[in-house]
Amino acid sequence: MPLTSSPTTRAAFSINGAEHQTVGPYLFDGYRLHPSAWDELFGRGGDPHDHCCGLVERLGRLHVSEFLGRRTSADLAFVNQGITFSVYADRRGVEKIFPFDLIPRPIPAVEWAKLEAGLVQRIKTLNLFLHDVYHDQRIIKEKVVPEDLALGSKGFRKEMVGFTPPGGVYVHICGTDLIRDAAGNFVVLEDNGRTPSGVSYVLENRAVMKKVFPQLFQDIRVKRVEDYPHRLRDALASVAPAGAGAPPCVVVLSPGQYNSAYFEHSFLARHMGVELVFGPDLFVHDDVVYLKTTRGPQRVDVIYRRLDDDFLDPEAFRPDSLLGVPGLFRAYRAGNVTLANAVGTGVCDDKAVYPYVEDMVRFYLSEEPILKNVKTYICARPDDLAYTLDHLEELVVKAVNESGGYGMLMGPSSTAAQRSEFAAKIRECPRNYIAQPVVTLSTVPTWTDDGPAPRHVDLRPYIITGKSTWVLPGGLTRTALVKGSLVVNSSQGGGSKDTWVLEGR
Amino acid sequence: MISRVAEHCFWLARYLERAENAARVLEVNHTLLLDFHVPVEQQWKPVLIISGIHDYEKEPTAENVQEHMTWEEENPFSISSCLFWARENARIIREVISGEMWERINFYHLWAQSPAARESYDTDRHEFYAQVRRINQLVHGIADATMSHGEAWEFFKLGTYLERASQTARIMDVKYHTLLPKVEDVGTPTDNAHWVAILMSCSGYEPFHKKPRPNPIDPAMAVAEFLIFDEQFPRSIRRCVWECEGAAAAAAGNPVGREPTVAETEIGELLTWLDRRTIADIVHDGMHETLTHVVDSVHRIGEAVHASFFAAEVKPPPRAAQPQSLAGMSQSQS
Repeated sequence: MPLTSSPTTRAAFSINGAEHQTVGPYLFDGYRLHPSAWDELFGRGGDPHDHCCGLVERLGRLHVSEFLGRRTSADLAFVNQGITFSVYADRRGVEKIFPFDLIPRPIPAVEWAKLEAGLVQRIKTLNLFLHDVYHDQRIIKEKVVPEDLALGSKGFRKEMVGFTPPGGVYVHICGTDLIRDAAGNFVVLEDNGRTPSGVSYVLENRAVMKKVFPQLFQDIRVKRVEDYPHRLRDALASVAPAGAGAPPCVVVLSPGQYNSAYFEHSFLARHMGVELVFGPDLFVHDDVVYLKTTRGPQRVDVIYRRLDDDFLDPEAFRPDSLLGVPGLFRAYRAGNVTLANAVGTGVCDDKAVYPYVEDMVRFYLSEEPILKNVKTYICARPDDLAYTLDHLEELVVKAVNESGGYGMLMGPSSTAAQRSEFAAKIRECPRNYIAQPVVTLSTVPTWTDDGPAPRHVDLRPYIITGKSTWVLPGGLTRTALVKGSLVVNSSQGGGSKDTWVLEGR
Repeated sequence: MISRVAEHCFWLARYLERAENAARVLEVNHTLLLDFHVPVEQQWKPVLIISGIHDYEKEPTAENVQEHMTWEEENPFSISSCLFWARENARIIREVISGEMWERINFYHLWAQSPAARESYDTDRHEFYAQVRRINQLVHGIADATMSHGEAWEFFKLGTYLERASQTARIMDVKYHTLLPKVEDVGTPTDNAHWVAILMSCSGYEPFHKKPRPNPIDPAMAVAEFLIFDEQFPRSIRRCVWECEGAAAAAAGNPVGREPTVAETEIGELLTWLDRRTIADIVHDGMHETLTHVVDSVHRIGEAVHASFFAAEVKPPPRAAQPQSLAGMSQSQS
């Protein structure tokens, strides 16, 4: 009986290796490419890219019914492990899982090698820039970066002038957002040099994928991501201050259990094998930071803080902060503790400074930038301002100090009223805005209520810098879940996918 | 370890133990009422009293009280609240407890919030209370097998045994409140049956009977003696306090000649108080008064633990003059 001839009854290989008969459509049967975006799995003709053949072949043998079963068990795994973020609306809070899509996003080895080199070059540059901005300001004197943009940045901390953090590293952990345009080129959308989040989802997504699709990982070789916490701990320990213990005492500083990213703080501490502390667990004495333990004070050498500069130390910054540690900045300036990331890194991921990063690479390294930026109009420049105001319909306008998809105007989908309202805001304070042409983000097949459909994605690799620099293979692939949406932030209803950097070719 | 973390560990254990014992108390009361006629208004109010709830406004019917002690979110002693707070404490210190522990605690917290739990409660209450007891037992098994037996573990143990000492006292006290003893009943088959029910609700039936006893004695006194003084039974008050003593000493560190913490002193006092008494003394002084003393002592110990370990003023160490050339060497902090 020719099972394959019937469209509804077919023999399918279970992805676990067992062979049995199931019915219904296969996973990719109903998939239609986006009209113009680059698809991460399929070429324009509908055939998978070379590096995706193995994945598409295996996933493509999966019936939708079985795929949905695995989807349910993946969601359950997230719930049972409490991989959730809290929405504290009522007394006991509501916990939600970050939507996870089971179809992975592959990146071929060769392409990854180039991205990796580009990211290393970029982070090296940003660290050099920060050192320069807080010391000689050569780049400003030589008029490569305008003085008012750099020194006028909200992220610039005058308290850091003349001070060099231990090991000379400013950005220990960087999350650089990349997008792929319609032609298939990766470009940098923004750098996150303060406290980039999301890496715990990279590791948890992978763990869940391995549970749900064990056979896939036997058949297709994917670079490991599990080393991240140890790499991070070692990198932080490598830039401990002089006088630190051996091994240095590293801690993760969280704003507390009600923070929406608390799961991640706890995750990192657990996997790094270090203490998770809250501000009130620490105190400063004689410019040295100590941990309050059941057996007395214990010296702390390195603090991976998940707290903004403003809240770090009520003596130095916001006096009303209850989350920070009084005297911490003094201890830092005295060279007795390493803070990761350093204070004042906000100046390097300011959206108005971003357009100059390519020039910075040339300036500091005398190299051509491997990774390109998206074309950016800086509203602080009169010409760019005029262009932006004339072309609002085609541009994305962003407030320079906002993140998480807030303070944005998406030109093509905006109403005339929204545009005029935004135009007024831009005129009022041009320094606060930049504009970019709309980039049609690449797509990956994503499961929706209507079956598999192309949804836009970005990519946030994580770069760790201590004595040397290491890039986590892959990173967080964030996906917009709403049709046509180009905004992938989780705060705006985005989800995520497992990112596969393939071994070999 | 960090004082705050130690405190969460301690309370995680207490809430888990409390949830288990709430189930035990509800069950034993239920069992006692099956066999004996007690005026309706006396039947369930005692459960509230021994849990320290004095402001209950509704009529204390069987269903109202069980509902309040099982599900009421506003009642910090309800099973649902205890599981919620156990889970919340666990969530804050996930990096300290083992992953398996966390996953089970989280799982049962979610279970308690689910329709499945409610259905079990509605259709087979005995099984529901048994399931609640199993949660704590399971988590303890996982903890024992997967969590490092270091300082955090000692605080976990301290919380467990401290709470259990007080809960065993409360369970025994149910009898006092529910079935106000009448002098003529003492030693009758009815009275003995009460004690067997109490024994069973503390999982003590088999261990009690396995214990060799040279002379035929009053069964009621023997049960009370067993639940208060037994040296081996892990739910007897004395054994629980003795475990607290060990856990507190281990948590404080063990250098010879160390000044004991206030917590250790308080625990030692209760232990001595118990050691100086026999069951005959207790019958003479009054069972209820003895149990009240235990509950009050546990409360004082709890405060002492807080003062000794969680809220202790941490004095900065004297800063040793450190020559610059030695700055790279390791520096030990105690």
